[in-house]
Amino acid sequence: MIQYHKFTLENGLTVIHHFDDATQICALNLLYRVGSRNEDPNKTGFAHLFEHLMFGGSKHVKEFDTELQDAGGESNAFTSNDITNYYVTLPANNIETGFWLDSDRMLSLDFNQKSLDVQKNVVIEEFKERYLNQPYGDIWLKILPLAYQKHPYNWATIGKEIGHIEAANLEQVKEFFFNFYAPNNAILVVAGNVSLEETKRLVNKWFAPIEIRNTIISELEKEPKQTEARKEHVYNDVPLDLIVKAYHMGGRLDPDYYACDLLSDILGSGKSARFFNRLVKEKRLFSELDTYISGDADPGLFLIEGKLMKGISFETAEAAILEEIEFLKNNLISENELSKVINKTETNICFGDMNVLNRAMKLAFAEFLGDIELVNTEIDHYLAVNPEILQEVAKNMLVEENCNTLYYHAKS
Amino acid sequence: MSLNRNIAPAFHLVDRLHFPAYETRYTKQGFKIYALKAGVQPVVRLDFIFDAGLIHQVKNAEAAFTASMLSEGTNKRNALSLAESLDFYGSYFQTRCNADDAVASLYCLDKHFNNCLPLFLEALIESIFPAKELDIQKKNSLQKLIVNEKKNSYLCRKNFYQNLLGENHPYAAFSSKENINSIDRNSLEIFHKNQYLEGLKYLMLSGCYSIETLNIIEKSMAEQPFSKPKENKLHMPDPISKIGKHLIEKNDSVQSAIRIGKISIQRDHEDFRKLQFLNLIFGGYFGSRLMKNIREDKGLTYGIYSVLEPFKGTSVWYIDSDMNSKNRESGLSEIYKELARICAEPIPNDEIDTARNYYLGSFLRSLDGPFSLADRLKIMIDNKLSDSYYPDFVKILNEIGAEELQHLANKYLANENIVEMVVGKK
Repeated sequence: MIQYHKFTLENGLTVIHHFDDATQICALNLLYRVGSRNEDPNKTGFAHLFEHLMFGGSKHVKEFDTELQDAGGESNAFTSNDITNYYVTLPANNIETGFWLDSDRMLSLDFNQKSLDVQKNVVIEEFKERYLNQPYGDIWLKILPLAYQKHPYNWATIGKEIGHIEAANLEQVKEFFFNFYAPNNAILVVAGNVSLEETKRLVNKWFAPIEIRNTIISELEKEPKQTEARKEHVYNDVPLDLIVKAYHMGGRLDPDYYACDLLSDILGSGKSARFFNRLVKEKRLFSELDTYISGDADPGLFLIEGKLMKGISFETAEAAILEEIEFLKNNLISENELSKVINKTETNICFGDMNVLNRAMKLAFAEFLGDIELVNTEIDHYLAVNPEILQEVAKNMLVEENCNTLYYHAKS
Repeated sequence: MSLNRNIAPAFHLVDRLHFPAYETRYTKQGFKIYALKAGVQPVVRLDFIFDAGLIHQVKNAEAAFTASMLSEGTNKRNALSLAESLDFYGSYFQTRCNADDAVASLYCLDKHFNNCLPLFLEALIESIFPAKELDIQKKNSLQKLIVNEKKNSYLCRKNFYQNLLGENHPYAAFSSKENINSIDRNSLEIFHKNQYLEGLKYLMLSGCYSIETLNIIEKSMAEQPFSKPKENKLHMPDPISKIGKHLIEKNDSVQSAIRIGKISIQRDHEDFRKLQFLNLIFGGYFGSRLMKNIREDKGLTYGIYSVLEPFKGTSVWYIDSDMNSKNRESGLSEIYKELARICAEPIPNDEIDTARNYYLGSFLRSLDGPFSLADRLKIMIDNKLSDSYYPDFVKILNEIGAEELQHLANKYLANENIVEMVVGKK
């Protein structure tokens, strides 16, 4: 049970406090409600580039990291389709340093050209290192535009192309900052060995003076229901053929979300999963075959991804995947198999809650989704799934008209 | 009262580190069980540590295959049935083959421990390495290998170790296609008998375990066919380095993988902890010189780090990065400039202060969870270090100054005996 206390400042900042005196550290997690889905389609990758700029100095602080390291702290951040999330961990008695730094960069960045130029280069190198200079690194860049035709999940967080990052300028940076990086568009979690009173004192001192801003978030275009199968062939210098099948599923608060997650475990998670035993081991069609969900706030994807054994054709491999899916749709999953994946989920939740920073992130994300109690009720949602629900969800979701298939051919 | 944001809030320095107490018990046969209780979530990890690492293998690839085949079937259960049982209790069975040992770990919730332990022991003791399962693992490994061989970072890592230590050095053992093909059941069975059944070093339990869990381990281990490693000395070859610059051409790459390094000192050396600190300043954290200059000032890379990697038989220090091919030469020259600078000039005091404060804070973070504590305890046990090894960092870091750090830089980071490995465009 994760206990927390939530309140809102007059400027609209949501604050969540979680006390844990078993640790000597404290985490500050600041979530901004902006991700790559909020970008202009012609300026993609901007939310993530912006995340880098948040470490390049703010109005009163020249070097964010040095000031933090002086107080024994560490920091990082990530950008997803939905959010940009910053976190700091410090010895609990130095937590005020985190408040000082994070409130100053919410107040205003120092918007300098040099930081922008350098971070554009760093992000371009990141683009190359993770997406271009790796075999199969660009799968995500291919599958998203195939699966999403209207909704801005159409592009990856890193951006559609390097050119978009190169074109970013300071004017856009300012505009983006003053629109999205507002107290009324953020969630602050203070978790660890710091009391609620101290948290309130520090929040009032450092964050309350920041003015509310006129944040405009455009409504996102909904992805229309897919009605026919989409397929794309890619040829690249990789050693093995690879197949990805991406099915549309519900968003994070969709009632079927938990069933989809469990279905992905039944098919593809671990050594007792169906795909591994039937298609990797028995039929020897794949050397790896994984199933996972994207976990996005808006309707996301259920993905199957596998590397084919040398000499196996795409037709054979795909037919075998489809055969397993048909079996899933036509035969009720046993209570035993369902218990197995739920038990595994329970273990994962417990292991995830061990770390105070993880708990802070989880609280922030649940609040962002609009249901903070999810941090404690998640397991109940999984326990509420039964074999009939699983079968129903599989029948509706795992159909070719709802599927986007990428055939990634090894160029010989 | 108006708020002055120009002034940093006062902060406290970490003045002591506390390594929590742990318990030591013995099984009936005399194996040590270290038990470290921490955390509040009801999770446990049980590790068995074996003399079954890269240094113990006679044939390349047999250590890794034995470790990964332990889940693939016993006299009583085939691979699927074993995996189903372990998964049913929500547990994870993991084996890791390291340079100097192998570790088999069971992760589960405390409430399921009594159901998981018999399965875990069965896998460790009664594995039969079925030929069919071995064949599958070999073919899958070969597929993984050909993908790895397409990665500059993999080629760079492999060739760096082979150039620094010698192709036949155990720490430079990377399995080739031939190595994988030549693995057979027989060699795995022998390796299992000699290095696992007759090579159990100790057990370690960590997490928020119940007293029953500890008792169950003691009871279950009372009569098991394990014995301690024999005390025969391992032959550890001296490194044979090909000092100098090496390049593997990959003309279609947009980035080059770079590794530059040399032989260094081991954990039992009196300078080791000080060198760890010096390495932190040079390239060991986000505020390091390499990161500040090459990423944050020049934007030539997404990441650049230096790492001190101590093994039992030797130690390696290296710098690692993936860099824009176009600007690679200027990046390399900046690395060597930084090496020369840290040897030639004393490090400014404020830079030392920042690094020290950060380092002590990072110890607090890493001493936070039970599993990371257990990892630290393992380092203490394996290197016969005292319980004050980590707490003593406070004193060491408070005493060290610019002069001593410069002396250490000249001793350990000087630009001599260096191996430079680059994989990328010519």
